[in-house]
Amino acid sequence: MTNLTNTISKKNKHFSMNVFILVLAIIGAVLPLIWDNPYTMQILILIFLYAAAAGAWNIIGGYAGQVSLGHVAFFGLGAYTTALLYNFFGISPWIGMILGGILAAVVAGLISYPCFRLRGPFFTLATLAFAEVLRLLSIWARPLTGGQVGVTILFNPGFKNFQFFGKTPYYYIALILMFLVLIVSIWIERSKFGYYLTALKEDHDASEALGINTAKYKLYAIAISGFLTGLCGAFYTQLLLFIEPLSVFTSHLSNQFAMIAVVGGAGTAVGPILGSVIITPLNELLRGALGGDFQGLNFVIFGAILILVVTFMPNGLVGFFKDMKAKINHRSESK
Amino acid sequence: MYLMQVLISGLMLGGIYAMVSMGLTMIFGVVRVINFAHGEFLMIAMYLVYWLNVLLGMDPYVSILITVPVFFVFGVFVQRILIQPIQESPATIKIFSTLGLGLVLSNLALMLWDADYRSVKVSYSTAVINISELSISVPRLIAFIFALLVAVFMYSFLTKTDLGKQIRAVSQNRQAALLMGINVRKIYMIAFGIGSALVGLAASLLMPMYFVYPSIGLLFGLIAFVVVVLGGLGNMYGAFLGGLIIGLVEAIAGAYIDPALKEVFYFIIFILILLLKPSGLISMGRGSEEVGL
Repeated sequence: MTNLTNTISKKNKHFSMNVFILVLAIIGAVLPLIWDNPYTMQILILIFLYAAAAGAWNIIGGYAGQVSLGHVAFFGLGAYTTALLYNFFGISPWIGMILGGILAAVVAGLISYPCFRLRGPFFTLATLAFAEVLRLLSIWARPLTGGQVGVTILFNPGFKNFQFFGKTPYYYIALILMFLVLIVSIWIERSKFGYYLTALKEDHDASEALGINTAKYKLYAIAISGFLTGLCGAFYTQLLLFIEPLSVFTSHLSNQFAMIAVVGGAGTAVGPILGSVIITPLNELLRGALGGDFQGLNFVIFGAILILVVTFMPNGLVGFFKDMKAKINHRSESK
Repeated sequence: MYLMQVLISGLMLGGIYAMVSMGLTMIFGVVRVINFAHGEFLMIAMYLVYWLNVLLGMDPYVSILITVPVFFVFGVFVQRILIQPIQESPATIKIFSTLGLGLVLSNLALMLWDADYRSVKVSYSTAVINISELSISVPRLIAFIFALLVAVFMYSFLTKTDLGKQIRAVSQNRQAALLMGINVRKIYMIAFGIGSALVGLAASLLMPMYFVYPSIGLLFGLIAFVVVVLGGLGNMYGAFLGGLIIGLVEAIAGAYIDPALKEVFYFIIFILILLLKPSGLISMGRGSEEVGL
């Protein structure tokens, strides 16, 4: 009997989540039709992009609990692969995007594997260092990457070239990207793979004792995460049509991806979206409003938010709302 | 002769790295927190030295009397206010807390003092001692001598004094230490304070030969992480040795390959260590690479 009720409540849970996603998708799809102001469109595109990147981070950092502080490495790999393949060989950015994602996934796996055999902070340190190495290499390899100057993508609009005049096509692509990450996250949550990740996060020894090959599943998680982050980087290239080491290999982005996921709720599918809805507009607002007078103020505020969130609501906003809901339910039950 | 020259300047520089890294490994070994704001502590300390020099005309070496106590107290406060409330939380929480602190510090510096490179002007910053054909930079030599003194001092402090023994006891087994009547919370604060004070000292020794800018913390933080993994997490002597080695690697890579790629070599060393000997050069026993976190 309890088994039956369990299955039903699980199904209900899935059902409400599915409805939530559908509603979100419809709102997202309709929004540009009623509210197409270029500035808000730009902000929305960035919200989706950061939600997607934070969601990709969340797969390894949230579900598997392996904190990466160098995810910009995979973002930058996706960005540069797309840009260089297009500029040098005329390969369509759509293909470049996939290739960039694959390259990011492979590199992510290679860098992470030595760390995943070990426990401890090695993975975090390795990702941090690797991102810095890629930044320096991208500056150093001038003939290929243009060094500090960066790469300007040859402008030739059209669907095949992933370049558009208006913002609307970018809006829909960013929306799809975000939903792709969301759906992958939900699939992970509901699959055995997701349970393995949760198990190894909660208790590494116990999960190994149960026969879970922790290194293997962590490797899968980082590869998926790296691939999706690479896609985000490729999208960024096409959105701005200009990349430089300072913009696609900066540690700021790594911090931002992680922070958005943590503030929203690490290890949950909607957490990164919620986090991005709050953090991304705040970032644009602070940068836009204060300009050069107080450069850095946005990150002073974000650093403080990060400290407060992990100290007082370690499960982020999603965890906070869940606690509230549980309290309300508890109260109504006791009445 | 050129090689000799390269090795000597690398070794001297390694002294500074050793000092910064000993602070990081002290905090990690005892408090079990990787201080992701460690490089930013150094950056703020360097600004302190800079402003003491510019505003009060204080010599960087005299400023040791200020940076060391100020940063000891700063470290104690960080442990008390930031880390203690989350001491029992998972490692990821502690990573984000110190990362958040690092973000606040580096961007506060950017906000207050811009991204300009600043350096103190002292007469001896380019002074050299010539021994036959070798020339040794005076500030580097002073820094190296200090590093040696600090290593000897830390060694005798940790092995001979009661407080030092308490610190080692806590780092080896905090439960047992607690049961022996050691005030573990106090030891955490002291260890964080010492780790932070070492950074203050390093800043005073660095400023005569280096410049400071808001994001310099990332570079030094990265070096310290590599050194600490190289030496063995939580191992003070390993950190000292690792610092010297990284200094040598930097000098050799800079002289014979390309100075722009020195970080790439740190990283290669880092990955090699993880693959070959994850417990570090001076192993603290089997499985010690898996301490804490």
